[in-house]
Amino acid sequence: MEGPSSRLPPSLLPASRDWMVGRRDSGGDAESDRDIKTHFRVCRFIMETGVKLGMRSVPVATACVLYHRFWERASVHAYEPYLVAMSCVYLAGKVEEQHTRTRDILNVSHRYFNSGSAPLECDKEFWDLRDSVVQCELLILRQLNFQVSFEHPHKYLLHYLLSVKSLVNRHAWSRTPIAETSWALLRDCYHGAMCIRHIPQHIAIATLHLALNSYGVELPVGEKEWWQVLCVDVTKAHIDAVVSDLLQLYDMEAKCV
Amino acid sequence: MEDWYRWVREAGWWVRRCCCGEEEDDDEEEEGRREEEEEEEEVKMEELSLRKSRSSTSLPPAELDPDRSGSPPSGFQPHWFHTLQARRFKVQRGRSNSDPLGGKSCQDQFTWKPGLEFGAAHSYVSLEKLGEGAYASVYKGVSRINGQLVALKEIRMKTEEGVPFTAIREASLLKGLKHANIVVLHDIIHTRESLTLVFEYVQTDLAQYLSQHPGGLHSHNVRLFMFQLLRALCFIHSRRILHRDLKPHNLLISYLGELKMADFGLARSKSVPCQTFSSDVVTLWYRPPDVLLGSTDYSTALDIWGAGCIFVEMLQGFPAFPGMKDEFEQLQKIWTVLGVPSEDIWPGVSQLPNYQPDRFLFSEPKSLRNVWKRLNQLPYKTEDLVQRMLKVLPMVRISAQDSLQHPYFSTLPPPIMHLRDTVSIFKVPGVQLETEVRDVFNSGRKIKPSLLLSAKFW
Repeated sequence: MEGPSSRLPPSLLPASRDWMVGRRDSGGDAESDRDIKTHFRVCRFIMETGVKLGMRSVPVATACVLYHRFWERASVHAYEPYLVAMSCVYLAGKVEEQHTRTRDILNVSHRYFNSGSAPLECDKEFWDLRDSVVQCELLILRQLNFQVSFEHPHKYLLHYLLSVKSLVNRHAWSRTPIAETSWALLRDCYHGAMCIRHIPQHIAIATLHLALNSYGVELPVGEKEWWQVLCVDVTKAHIDAVVSDLLQLYDMEAKCV
Repeated sequence: MEDWYRWVREAGWWVRRCCCGEEEDDDEEEEGRREEEEEEEEVKMEELSLRKSRSSTSLPPAELDPDRSGSPPSGFQPHWFHTLQARRFKVQRGRSNSDPLGGKSCQDQFTWKPGLEFGAAHSYVSLEKLGEGAYASVYKGVSRINGQLVALKEIRMKTEEGVPFTAIREASLLKGLKHANIVVLHDIIHTRESLTLVFEYVQTDLAQYLSQHPGGLHSHNVRLFMFQLLRALCFIHSRRILHRDLKPHNLLISYLGELKMADFGLARSKSVPCQTFSSDVVTLWYRPPDVLLGSTDYSTALDIWGAGCIFVEMLQGFPAFPGMKDEFEQLQKIWTVLGVPSEDIWPGVSQLPNYQPDRFLFSEPKSLRNVWKRLNQLPYKTEDLVQRMLKVLPMVRISAQDSLQHPYFSTLPPPIMHLRDTVSIFKVPGVQLETEVRDVFNSGRKIKPSLLLSAKFW
């Protein structure tokens, strides 16, 4: 941590691209696997914190996207992932107009790590923690170049669900929790960097596709597949790529929890 | 527990070091700056390309020429005098703005300095305070990188709150918006205790322009301003962004007559149309009746109402609906002109939270030309456009895109309709501002200097 390179995210230092190369190489696999696991756990932390703070789905999704975009440009060794996560939650609240207080974030995080313990005292320790969250927010803003407004798959999924509902047999729809499942699948996408690798429409189509398939709900077959009607540029390959990323995340869950 | 404290503290320390490396202490300063430069490289590249693409379109030639901006003027002039000159642009045409500091002593400071970086506080010199906002102070400044005038919006950071959300919103939205009628965000400077947004410098704003030319503007100029305003609205609405705070103060006017939309602090990317937005947004005078009634599912029609009010204000010289007190008085002002809406013409209106018919005085819709006399003197199409923009019912209010096609604008040269987003309408031959009939600065009347100093005009 003493070298100058650790003080700045290496991706911004032209001289030290070795960590990027390391990830591509076979030798970096173990490390990259460990990083993915770390991020998986931290994202779980973001979601749990978000739920406890009463945040809506979209602000939580924004927090996760901020988190993944940050690590796109920074090495996991340079900054503390959980601190970045807390600042992402705070920043997401500002971006999505559902403001949270640093104090609440700190207390909820404290309970996450020390379940059953009393809330934090308002002492110097507490103010230092709060300063860290605020300072880290600025770091995230700088890293992301102030580009913090994102488009999420949620609105697309909602729209697609309404369209598909009208195509499906009414009884089949009421028997199967398609909406709930696809919504849950969508939320799970945010555990990994896959949520920033695919475009929102494709993620929405893929989660709906997976939900329909898992319950064996059939849609009337026409000239085109149903997803081609809903989203012009999506292909089966896109859907498969999203689904495969998502299934990998579920594998990861088994290893992490 | 202990561990957790330690890692958060440690991480915070690293963050502080990285954010404010150049400020730590003297022997670290050099290193810190180098780091900052590296980090800003991306920003810099982006800004450079932006400048290149921009330079030929929206800058007055005097500001582009490095020789002129670098050389001292013939005589020394005190700072406040430039303030006056900038306002008297009918006489000076804003030319004096190209040598902002005057005196010879500043010569070496303002030569081209290729070594200076974007994103660094020392690359800009702040000249004078232009205004004070809710969360920021605005200064007129000059870039030491290329001598361009800039407006420095210095945002105060509260230690407990971090970066104000309005600043985050403004910066993140403006970065993606490149349009001739939207203020350019050149650069962002962050230091430990402040965040400064560097905007292009624009001489005045519509509120000032209106007070300088009382009694209504030249109808030709109104048309040009409205066209530019609607062009900007059309652009942001097509990108699913609402401005939400349109008012003459937020519309900057260059000496050429270019209108630039500014202050995106309340703007937001528009997402699902049924989403509830926080309902406290537009300054009351420019707020549409649906929002005043407590509706939260507003959309692009919100900005169109604001534009309609500004349209009337430019023609008449005074605000269309100047409510003084609260939402109800504001609504009453609107009903007096447009009539109280009923369930018949606006299904669902009675369900809105602030709909209290017993508090509204009954009034019939009136003909707009009887309310705003200036409309009487102008062709019918002017009144028609005002009417379409000021519809009580948000669903039937004209869209920005349709309004640009309205016959009201048919007298403008046709090429104006096919400009690229980043090209100013004043590039079209024959498009220019007319001299206003009334000008308080030229009528020989004296203005108290204290009035000038308190005014905001960037």
